[in-house]
Amino acid sequence: MLDSTVTRPSGRAQRDRARFLGEDRDYWRLMIRGALLLMVTLGIYRFWLVTDMRRFLWSNTEISGESLEYIGTPLELLFGFLVAVTLLVPLYGAFFIAALDLGVLGQLSGVLAFVLLAFLGQFAIYRARRYRLSRTVYRGVRFRQTGSAWRYAVCAVFWWVMIIVTLGLAYPLAQTRLEQFKMNNTFYGDLGGHFGGSARSLLLRGLPLWFLVIGPFVLAMIMAMGGVDWSAALTAARQSGDDTLGRIEGASPGFGAAVVIAILACGWVVLAAALLYPAFQALMLRWWLGGLRFGSVATSSQVRARQIYAAYVRFLWYSVLFTLAAGVFGAAVLFLIGVLGAVIGETATEIMVTAVLLVGYVIAALAYSTIYQVTVRLGLWRLGLDSLVLSGTGALDRVKAAGRPSSPFGEGLANALRVDGW
Amino acid sequence: MSKGTGIYFDGTTSARHDVSVELTPETLVILDSRGDDLAEWPYADIEHLSAPKQVLRLGLNGEPALARLEIHDPAFAAEIDDRALTVDRSGATDRRARIRVIALSLVATLSLVVVAVFVVPELAARLAPLVPAGVERRLGEAVDAQVRSMLDTRKLGDRLVCGSLPVEQPGQAALEALIESMERAAALPLPLKVSVVRRTEANAIALPGGHVYVFQGLLDKAESPDELAAVIAHEIGHVVHRDGTRSMLQSAGLSLLFGMLLGDFVGGGAVVLAAGTLIRSSYSREVELAADAFGTRLVGRIGGDAAALGTILRRIDGGRKPGVRIWLDHPDVEDRVRAINVIAPPSSRAPLLDAAQWAALRRICAEP
Repeated sequence: MLDSTVTRPSGRAQRDRARFLGEDRDYWRLMIRGALLLMVTLGIYRFWLVTDMRRFLWSNTEISGESLEYIGTPLELLFGFLVAVTLLVPLYGAFFIAALDLGVLGQLSGVLAFVLLAFLGQFAIYRARRYRLSRTVYRGVRFRQTGSAWRYAVCAVFWWVMIIVTLGLAYPLAQTRLEQFKMNNTFYGDLGGHFGGSARSLLLRGLPLWFLVIGPFVLAMIMAMGGVDWSAALTAARQSGDDTLGRIEGASPGFGAAVVIAILACGWVVLAAALLYPAFQALMLRWWLGGLRFGSVATSSQVRARQIYAAYVRFLWYSVLFTLAAGVFGAAVLFLIGVLGAVIGETATEIMVTAVLLVGYVIAALAYSTIYQVTVRLGLWRLGLDSLVLSGTGALDRVKAAGRPSSPFGEGLANALRVDGW
Repeated sequence: MSKGTGIYFDGTTSARHDVSVELTPETLVILDSRGDDLAEWPYADIEHLSAPKQVLRLGLNGEPALARLEIHDPAFAAEIDDRALTVDRSGATDRRARIRVIALSLVATLSLVVVAVFVVPELAARLAPLVPAGVERRLGEAVDAQVRSMLDTRKLGDRLVCGSLPVEQPGQAALEALIESMERAAALPLPLKVSVVRRTEANAIALPGGHVYVFQGLLDKAESPDELAAVIAHEIGHVVHRDGTRSMLQSAGLSLLFGMLLGDFVGGGAVVLAAGTLIRSSYSREVELAADAFGTRLVGRIGGDAAALGTILRRIDGGRKPGVRIWLDHPDVEDRVRAINVIAPPSSRAPLLDAAQWAALRRICAEP
């Protein structure tokens, strides 16, 4: 641990490094207690839990010998959330009424709602980042973020459309542009940030992964599409009566085989994406940490993919242990209810079994999420920091304070729209 | 007076100052290496901030500048802890505050659940009559299009509704005669529209705006015109009580409470779903009993056999279905029949339709 006074940072080695000081044990305790309280308060406790998590993560993050500090409060988050809800309720009400309209408005209302919520979600993500930065203090000076959240939302929605249209090929350029937007508007005191990562290097490194996931999928889909007589199949689909699939298969032989190939292709995408995701995360983390700049301060990282795979293996290992323990315990509880059933009657037994299954489901979901948070999320945070190398840290000694704390509305909106992160 | 060392950031720049710290009876004095005063903090205004485990990090309350003092020597940190009440290294104060927060959020959760169970249905019942008939009709039209496409699993299109073919028209006329007598007696706020649809289930549904769908399967199970009239009268009860609008308002209230305010955690979706189903089912069971009572009285008023509703319900039900009763949205049939028989006046008059009309009505759905 930190043995004070003796190892105070002064040597170059410590000045140019970062590390994570927190212990897994403390985070486990915080997260398990939080999960229990989330369950009994039906989620109201989340504002306190997320503040605790951030305090732990920030204050144990040591960069160039000094640790960060998170100064946001749970009540701010609660207030921001309530404001967001009072704004969203009339909006949802308007969508509901518009959906009742039988004309063009009613038919378009679903699309309109989707587009508007996509924009609002990106708006909220940007504003939430502003809130978090303005509550982040380092050496007595806060971070801050400028820039229009609406402009960011327009850019983000545009780039996400491009990513979908190009089957992911636009992702490196999109990430670069969005990261540039964010970092150009990010300041540590009067020290302006920018982003030095390049889209081309991300693209070149990501291409092999992309080919492994999307390549077989595209080939299989082309094969599947080619084997179907589309005009005959469409005509058959439009006829009335039961057994639509049977009719289509009759009109265009090979349709069944095409469906099977398409399902297999989708299965491949899911499987390959899941297996390669940690490698992708390592790539992204290295690229992102390699691009962060504040004035002359630059960072880089050499996180290895196998370190991230190790975090996921740890997640799987704890999950298996929990599943075994929960299975034994759950079976015992159900057996006990079965024994009691003779005494308490049929209806009471049914109610108890339903309640046990519901509570069991909630406990299991919270447990897997907690295991994920500690093993993977915290693991990645630690890996990122421990591998971080800084240069030009001299600039960190001469930063002037600037900026004010910003409103928690963005965080609240992100929470109400379910797009919030850390 | 005790002394120690620390690291000080003055809040205006990020420069690190190695300082010595003196503890006077009332204040903490921060001195630079030459012995000059950098700051003097009264103990009462000192703020204890989050930091790594071995570090005590202090700030000054209410200051816009974020001046920070870090103490790395545990013994000296303990000394400051003794003097400044706000410094809480053991976490005892934080735990007490946290317990209060937990208690308050439990109370808030409980009160929101109470609101969902008792206040939301009451509000919906009060608000439903205030919704103008025009709005309800539009609502009904929107729902109607969806319900029709849901019912039309065989892709019959216009042929989903019976009664338009020449061979079906006598049946349609008989149905209209039956409806007209009930409509007159019920004093409806909006015009009724009853259609028989080609579905094999023994069921009938009422939509907001006065649209009632009777399934062909129900017509097949009915053994007298009074039984069919009784089920339609039950559905008219839903229309008169504006139950469609009411349940829509209830759902909106519930999804606000259980979708937005509560249930936002991993696994919360199941809780929201379960709570919503339970509460909606309990509303719905009451609504069904009220519609039964209305239907029974209406059939009695137009001179039919008021107890017929109970007879056909029992025939359709065919014994208890498996399932936990709290999840079901209809009350137990025996409970319903008992309640119907309590208010059903005895009747020995002729059926509501004559034999020819009833025979025609039974043939309202010719083979498609």
